[in-house]
Amino acid sequence: MLFTRRLMLGLAMAGTFASALAVPAMAEGPTEIDLFFPVPVDGKLARDMGTLIKEFNEGHPAIKATAVYTGSYDDTLIKTRASIKAGKPPAAVIMSANFLLDMQIENELTNLDGLIAADGTTKEKFLGQFFPALQGNAVIDRSVYGVPFHNSTPLLYINADKAKEAGLDPSKPPQTWAELTDWAKKLTKREGDKVTQWGIAIPCAYDYCGWMMETLTMTNGGRYYNEEFGGEVYYDTPSMLGALTWWNDLVYKHKVHAPGATPGPAVSTSFISGNAAMMMLSTGSLTYVRDNAKFNYKVAFIPRNVRNAVPIGGASLIIPAGLEADKQKAAWTLIKWMTSPEKSAWWSRATGYFAPNMAAYKTPDMVDFLNKNPDAKTAVEQLDVAKPWFATYKTVPVRKNLEDEVMLVLNGKKQPKEALVAAQKAADETLKPYNAETSLKLP
Amino acid sequence: MSLAEPAALPVAASAAPRLHVLKRFSDRFKASLPAYLLLLPSLVFLALFTYGAMGRVFVDALYQRATPKAPVRFVGLDNISAVLADPAFTGAVFNNLVYAVGTAIPSIGLALLFALALARTSAISSALRAALFLPVLIPMVAASALFLFIFLPNVGLLDYYIGRFLPVLPNWLGDSDIALYAIMVITIWKNAGYYMLFFLAGLQAVPEDVMEAAHLDGAGPFMRFRHIILPELKPTFLFVIVIATLNAVTQVDHVFVMTKGGPSNATNLVLFYIYQQAVEHYDIGKASAATLLTLAALMGLTALSFRTMANREGGP
Repeated sequence: MLFTRRLMLGLAMAGTFASALAVPAMAEGPTEIDLFFPVPVDGKLARDMGTLIKEFNEGHPAIKATAVYTGSYDDTLIKTRASIKAGKPPAAVIMSANFLLDMQIENELTNLDGLIAADGTTKEKFLGQFFPALQGNAVIDRSVYGVPFHNSTPLLYINADKAKEAGLDPSKPPQTWAELTDWAKKLTKREGDKVTQWGIAIPCAYDYCGWMMETLTMTNGGRYYNEEFGGEVYYDTPSMLGALTWWNDLVYKHKVHAPGATPGPAVSTSFISGNAAMMMLSTGSLTYVRDNAKFNYKVAFIPRNVRNAVPIGGASLIIPAGLEADKQKAAWTLIKWMTSPEKSAWWSRATGYFAPNMAAYKTPDMVDFLNKNPDAKTAVEQLDVAKPWFATYKTVPVRKNLEDEVMLVLNGKKQPKEALVAAQKAADETLKPYNAETSLKLP
Repeated sequence: MSLAEPAALPVAASAAPRLHVLKRFSDRFKASLPAYLLLLPSLVFLALFTYGAMGRVFVDALYQRATPKAPVRFVGLDNISAVLADPAFTGAVFNNLVYAVGTAIPSIGLALLFALALARTSAISSALRAALFLPVLIPMVAASALFLFIFLPNVGLLDYYIGRFLPVLPNWLGDSDIALYAIMVITIWKNAGYYMLFFLAGLQAVPEDVMEAAHLDGAGPFMRFRHIILPELKPTFLFVIVIATLNAVTQVDHVFVMTKGGPSNATNLVLFYIYQQAVEHYDIGKASAATLLTLAALMGLTALSFRTMANREGGP
């Protein structure tokens, strides 16, 4: 008797739950969509995102968007994949720009060409709104899969007060590796064997390390990966060997860079506290530095050895595969709104990322802001020499194949050449299944 | 060979009345039916969320796709041999062994020390107990974020205080020779207070009269510790060692927050390796195979410790 009563109660409760869940889905209300967003840099991005989405919902009564915080870029990929597998993908995701290729290979992205055509515009016209450097990571096989949302490039940050102290002119920042090495030597302070102030800090933790290697390799004339095909990386090449050897020399020959692998937040803290006089870091940290530095600082292009070139970083908005048509449409409305000149400019000022939409820089608020903060202008100017971010099949493991070896070099356990040979071998192994299906699948 | 002969006899004798055994079994089952019914709800949930998941892992470990677009196919034990051949996995196992031994022994030693020092209840010892227990209450993720700042090279709290005594300032989390030990310090700091609780409880069970008798017989504090307290604490030790070993395998929050297994896999532990295979490599087959191996090791360890515990309880 007791059991049956329990059972009845349980069933009744389950029924109530089920009907409670079912009602909102059946009612004729606004289309509910989720937006997954990461917070990859220092600052108060989560609050800014709340403000942005609230404004969108007020202006679009037919759609109810909810912003869901999903951790770092890597976490956001994981959570998006988990929701796709569970059959409940979010309507839109702010996805690290270099994960798009991998997701497209795994059939996890919605091709946006149809949505663009339905608006009565062309791909060329749509993409034309954005800086050309950003298009490489948004277009795969001539189809659009992502819309650039917030982007970055690496920058050289200089503590101007310390530079003056050392007799250097911060208004003429170093432009070549030779000049940077010279600056770093002059900015390093020692007490006996102990270094009390490092000349330069370059971050190296999983994710950042690969990006910095791409930066140094590109300024040395090289490429990190095959931009046209996701099955090749160029680790064991003269340009990357030069890049890693220089980094190694900064640590062990010139002793102006701390040994070991230092993550991004440790580098920015070190710079803010005056422990490192220069650093290479994302433009995404610009607002954080502006708000926290108690000294005059200066930003400059990443110095070159062969040419000026930097990779882009940051994220694009994507629509996952397997979504109902009405949600897809609602997501597209949200994406277009978020990447419009005004919103793009607002987000750029709030975060420090640059606005991918070129028209954003013509809005009066932005013109005003750039006049007040010339450092933000440097970030935009560097876009002229920017190129896509490495993206391959299994981007993260392929990147880690290199990063593990770079960390060994920075810890003094391997020489650059043997490290790069090992990295190339490991990466080729990781890329093998994809090549077996593409470049090595012969008739 | 002579040992095997007597053993063969009872087997032959008990093999005949098989029906009888079956009947006895069904009788016993009928008698305990209500018990099983009462257990049913828990069993359903265990089946759904524990054994179901384990079964799924077992199945997933047998499948793999050859290329990204190819369908998954049955590969038998290939995933397991691939995991065993992966230097990252063997490295993680080695790291995990160092980590398990290097965290279990110091944290249990500290816990015992704390418990002995604070066994008598007074206002001061209660306050100290609370202070030592505090790290247990801080979630591992939050503690890791705190330690991230403590370990910051040059500007962190640690370097601020002890940096002046060191010839060079170490990069605590960025040096592949030091990082694992830095991580271990956090585990010890976090777990010692927790294990202290078990030892405090164990000490309560040491019979007062035996202690008094030893005292009267002129046994000094060390003799009492060696011959009365330690033997009485044996079950506690066994239990805490099992818990500490399980923790060494299942607690990787700080690895996740602080190093992501780096630099160069120096702090990669088995559970984090599994996460990397599943999430970064997107290789469910290999992740499941590694899970299966870990599960087997853990179950072996648990079975062994339960048997030892049962023996202790039954024995003199």
